[in-house]
Amino acid sequence: MSDESILEQLYNAIINGDKGGLERAVGSALKEGITPSEIIEKGMSPAMKEVGDRFARYEIYLPEMMLAAEAWEGAMQILEPKLLESGGERKKLGRVVIGTVKGDIHSIGKNIVGAMLKMNGFEVFDLGVDVAASAFVSKAEEVSADIIAASALMSTTIPQQKSIIEHLEARGARGKYCVLIGGGSTTQEWADNIGADGYGRTAGDAAILALKAVSQK
Amino acid sequence: MLSFWTVVERALAGPICTERDFDLGIFVPNLRKAIEKYDIKYDPQTPVPSDDDLADRVWQAGMEFLVETGVYCVDTERRIIFSREEIEGALESGPCGQIFGEGKDARVMPRRVPEDKTLPWCSVGPTSSPLSSELYYVNLVKAHAENPLGDGITIPCLTQVNGQPIVGGSPLGVEGAIRAVLLTREGMRRAGRPGMPIVNGVTTAARAQEHIAASHFGIRQTDALEIGTIHEMKVDFDTMNKVAYSLAAGNLIFAENGVILGGLAGGPAGVAVVTAAYNPVDLLILRGAVQHPFPTHFDLGVTSARDTIWARSVANQAITRNSTLPVVNVGYSAAGPMTKMLFYEHCAWVIASVVCGGSVEVGASARGTALDYTSPVEPLLASEVAHAVPGMSRKEANEIVEVLLGEYESQLREPPAGQRYQECCDPVTGKPNREFLELYMEVRREMTDQFGIQFTSASPYL
Repeated sequence: MSDESILEQLYNAIINGDKGGLERAVGSALKEGITPSEIIEKGMSPAMKEVGDRFARYEIYLPEMMLAAEAWEGAMQILEPKLLESGGERKKLGRVVIGTVKGDIHSIGKNIVGAMLKMNGFEVFDLGVDVAASAFVSKAEEVSADIIAASALMSTTIPQQKSIIEHLEARGARGKYCVLIGGGSTTQEWADNIGADGYGRTAGDAAILALKAVSQK
Repeated sequence: MLSFWTVVERALAGPICTERDFDLGIFVPNLRKAIEKYDIKYDPQTPVPSDDDLADRVWQAGMEFLVETGVYCVDTERRIIFSREEIEGALESGPCGQIFGEGKDARVMPRRVPEDKTLPWCSVGPTSSPLSSELYYVNLVKAHAENPLGDGITIPCLTQVNGQPIVGGSPLGVEGAIRAVLLTREGMRRAGRPGMPIVNGVTTAARAQEHIAASHFGIRQTDALEIGTIHEMKVDFDTMNKVAYSLAAGNLIFAENGVILGGLAGGPAGVAVVTAAYNPVDLLILRGAVQHPFPTHFDLGVTSARDTIWARSVANQAITRNSTLPVVNVGYSAAGPMTKMLFYEHCAWVIASVVCGGSVEVGASARGTALDYTSPVEPLLASEVAHAVPGMSRKEANEIVEVLLGEYESQLREPPAGQRYQECCDPVTGKPNREFLELYMEVRREMTDQFGIQFTSASPYL
């Protein structure tokens, strides 16, 4: 099988969110002598970009994004050790700890942002919903995150975003992380008010903010 | 119909499943299969379709999807499964013709079908919009209650108690929820409509304990508690605790389903199918007297976009042709008060909802999230429109909605902010300023001149 044909298989498997298919294509690529870096850069990354672009054009939605991201992560589990063996390293833009704040169980917006960040090359640690302020901080410390992203939908739960910043300050760690907020009831004014580093109204905004944050580090 | 306690048993003993596997291994493939099998396709050229066969296929797809998928209980990580016979049993014995409100303010909740001449139910109010002041709160409720076309009131969200921001789950949450009910009752009393029903009790309450506490300070059995599912096809114990309380207290329930367009349900076709599938869920789990759907766009945060209007129109037709549970649609518009765009958005989704068999809850501007960006004026016009279009054909409604969408859809991402309540209305008297009333009259005339919509003279602002 030609390299071109294998790269096309890699691309299509991500577009289709086919985790098993992608793992098989990665196996074939390695067998044919294509390097892990080439597999990522020439086959998988362009597909991830295409998934993000299609989402932005409303041609695909959250399930396709999540399945593509899962396929990517499965393939990376195979490729990362091989990258290290060959002296290479996975190119990571940054690490993001994301979750919906305590008292709030709304997950869809947070999931869309998480998937969008993965599409853009971030390593994402999703803490789920109803997450205590201290848990955001502890996880960020544990994984040496660059960004903490906190979602809140309701006007009665947005104070928990402020609480995260206060917990960071209490631990003397405020300067270590870029804190981004979003969700239905949040605004730029609220972000400014609590001292957050950025506010994203949409998932696209969040990705742009995250990219900007890591580029300024 | 299965008892609520049988449903609870299933939540505790149903098949175990991780949330990830429910979302991506069960929900998504089952939905895709149903959409394909029943050939459900979104047509952006027709935001208000007139296709009965499409509506019935959406219903069939929804029921098949529900039987195969079930509902996920987040707390037990189990699926609550219903058989087709159990679903049909619920549909046959669901509530219909419930009376909301007391005394001279009591109203019957109508069951409507597409192109029905029956007047819709019309809830008015700020629809959960956040407010900074108790004075604004009472005056806004009063102004909405003075709308004679309003059958029920939706209460706004208080954001502070004694100068402290309300934190959900804290004592401030309990006090905020109690105060919200008391202030709403006071606003309605000042309007001379003390028996008007609250239909979104208790908005300020995030948790069941706040909901229950507030219910002891002015929520009546003829009010409705608003209880919602979790995105998508999920419930948790907090939700079910609210239901358990409401059943014991004898409260009516507005069963809320805000399917996210762009979320797990995918595009408009999936949103329509999932919204239909929620109808029996609202009977069996939420024990609703009303289905309260509002398909919302993931990116724009509104219900007034073309694809959300299509999904709502089709789902309404599917549901009202096949279930007796009344539908009351709520809408979230993008623009702020005292802008033409807000009037147009409200009118577009209200026309679509009413001709497709629904009733309406009008009120939310600025996506329902911007502090104090709400007014009683646009909801008034929307309620007048709701009362003017029953009997209109879906084809005619589609033509009007198409024109209205043309006026605003390019601005949905960056809508005009408009004015805060205290800027466009006198915060002490609660009256809209002259410029605002002129804008209201201008759009009202446009609706008549351009679309032939004939209004009654019920408006208090004429």
